[in-house]
Amino acid sequence: MGSAKRTKKQLTVSKKPSKLRRARVYIVGESPMVEEYAELCGAHGFEVFVEWNEQPQMIPTFTALTIKRARTIPSEISLALELTNTDLDRKRKNIQNLDRALPHTSAIVSSSVIVTATEQASWINHRNRLIGMSALPTLIQKPLVEVAPTVFSPKETIEVVQLFFRSVGKELTLVQDRVGMVFPRILCQVINEASFALQEQITTPQDLDTALKLGAGYPQGPVEWADRIGMKQVYAVLSALQQDLQEDRYRISPLLTQLARGGAWWKHAQRNLQERQER
Amino acid sequence: MIKHLGVVGAGTMGTAIAQVAALSKIDVALYDINGTLLRQALERIKGEFKRGVESGRLSQETTTEAFTRIHPRTRLSDLNSCEVAIEAVIEDLRVKRDLFKHLEADAKPMTVLASTTSTLSITAIASATRHPERVVGAHFFSPATDSKLVEVVQGQQTSDEAVRLIIELVQQLGKTSIVVKDAPGYIVNRISQAFFGEALKLLGENVACVEEIDRIVSLEGGFATGPFEMMDQHGLDICLSTTQSIFDQSFGDPRYRPHPILKRMVESGMLGKKSGQGFQAYGENK
Repeated sequence: MGSAKRTKKQLTVSKKPSKLRRARVYIVGESPMVEEYAELCGAHGFEVFVEWNEQPQMIPTFTALTIKRARTIPSEISLALELTNTDLDRKRKNIQNLDRALPHTSAIVSSSVIVTATEQASWINHRNRLIGMSALPTLIQKPLVEVAPTVFSPKETIEVVQLFFRSVGKELTLVQDRVGMVFPRILCQVINEASFALQEQITTPQDLDTALKLGAGYPQGPVEWADRIGMKQVYAVLSALQQDLQEDRYRISPLLTQLARGGAWWKHAQRNLQERQER
Repeated sequence: MIKHLGVVGAGTMGTAIAQVAALSKIDVALYDINGTLLRQALERIKGEFKRGVESGRLSQETTTEAFTRIHPRTRLSDLNSCEVAIEAVIEDLRVKRDLFKHLEADAKPMTVLASTTSTLSITAIASATRHPERVVGAHFFSPATDSKLVEVVQGQQTSDEAVRLIIELVQQLGKTSIVVKDAPGYIVNRISQAFFGEALKLLGENVACVEEIDRIVSLEGGFATGPFEMMDQHGLDICLSTTQSIFDQSFGDPRYRPHPILKRMVESGMLGKKSGQGFQAYGENK
């Protein structure tokens, strides 16, 4: 930073800032998280540039006019979000590209549910700019985000990230930098156990969801939750936990593995099974 | 339609089931071997009805009529005219097996015998009877007066007809039933131990503290309360015994291993809300 002159489009942080103003945000990663975060940032006045690891089957039409697709990383990006959970190699490439392309002052906030933020920071030259966050599809609809500083994170980077999340109407909580973080870990283990129970045909998927909502006060049933997040995402988190913790407790249900690898969703699996039974 | 229900055990669960059934216009024979407990149960129901009327939830006419449908009984044979007999005695396999043997001896051939057990095998209870096909699980959740769900547990030899009858009863009680196989934890307790167990693992690994985990699960997950507050409400001794039961019945599957933190808390008398101290402090301990 030093005495470098700042242009109008660079990050402007007032002495006692409460929100980021006129900032450019770059978002790269997987659908639907890219779209979710793009809409959120666009709705809060950010200029947003997005790119997907794989082009979605249908490119979405964004509500905010300030959201554009950018196949290369534009200049003067204040903050980048990396939202890849199911492809570690691709994640690494994205993080390294961001580190090469972004100004040194720009923060990279990266989903750290399958690999710690500290390990991600070790992939790049400017380690102090990367911070982890809990990111799974649909979680951004909730008011709180978990953020995991790395061992390299200075106070200034944490403050910028806090400002960013406050600017998009989210509360932030700092947690230890661990694979799975807090809520994604708990949720994916619940879905895993539900998968084991369904594999054993203890009950039907619909009844399982009903049971947990009525009997345990869940806001959503594990099966419908898994369908909303995507089995591949759940599988990615569980695989990472299994590798990280090396405990038998984290072995993954074969049914979940099959659905994730086959790209299937519970609702489709159920419908096909029902059709076969009716024939 | 079930017209006559027998409830064995005038403890909290049995009393609540009797209360709900009476309000659902079912005649209830409420049995307990202990006459004092039976009298106390009737007083509790009277008190609940009075509170219901005072709050406007229930009319005086409804509660007066309902109370006349509850018949205290001190002999098991008094339940022999019931279409369904539900037991809500202590969670002990030997006690339940003995009870079902005696119930079967006096009951009509078509009477369905249901157990409210939350952790024991229905198949194991049923094997004490000559007709295990009529033994079924009816796992009510506490408090049975308010909780909407009943897990209907089909044992190894339970007939579809017995299951159907309990489903009908649950519907008459204004609740929702789901049918589950007889497996450790059924569904709710099994999945719940994954939920609580993972929260305890996070605490044990110092990823976050109790308050933070509860806050994260509530705000990020959309739950009304976090896992530690839930455990405090259930009772940590109940959580531990449920997890231990699932662990034992699954022959030591590591997925269900109880966490040492929970064991130590129960050993120290910290049982949650009911003892004034659990993961949080309650009442005058605050």
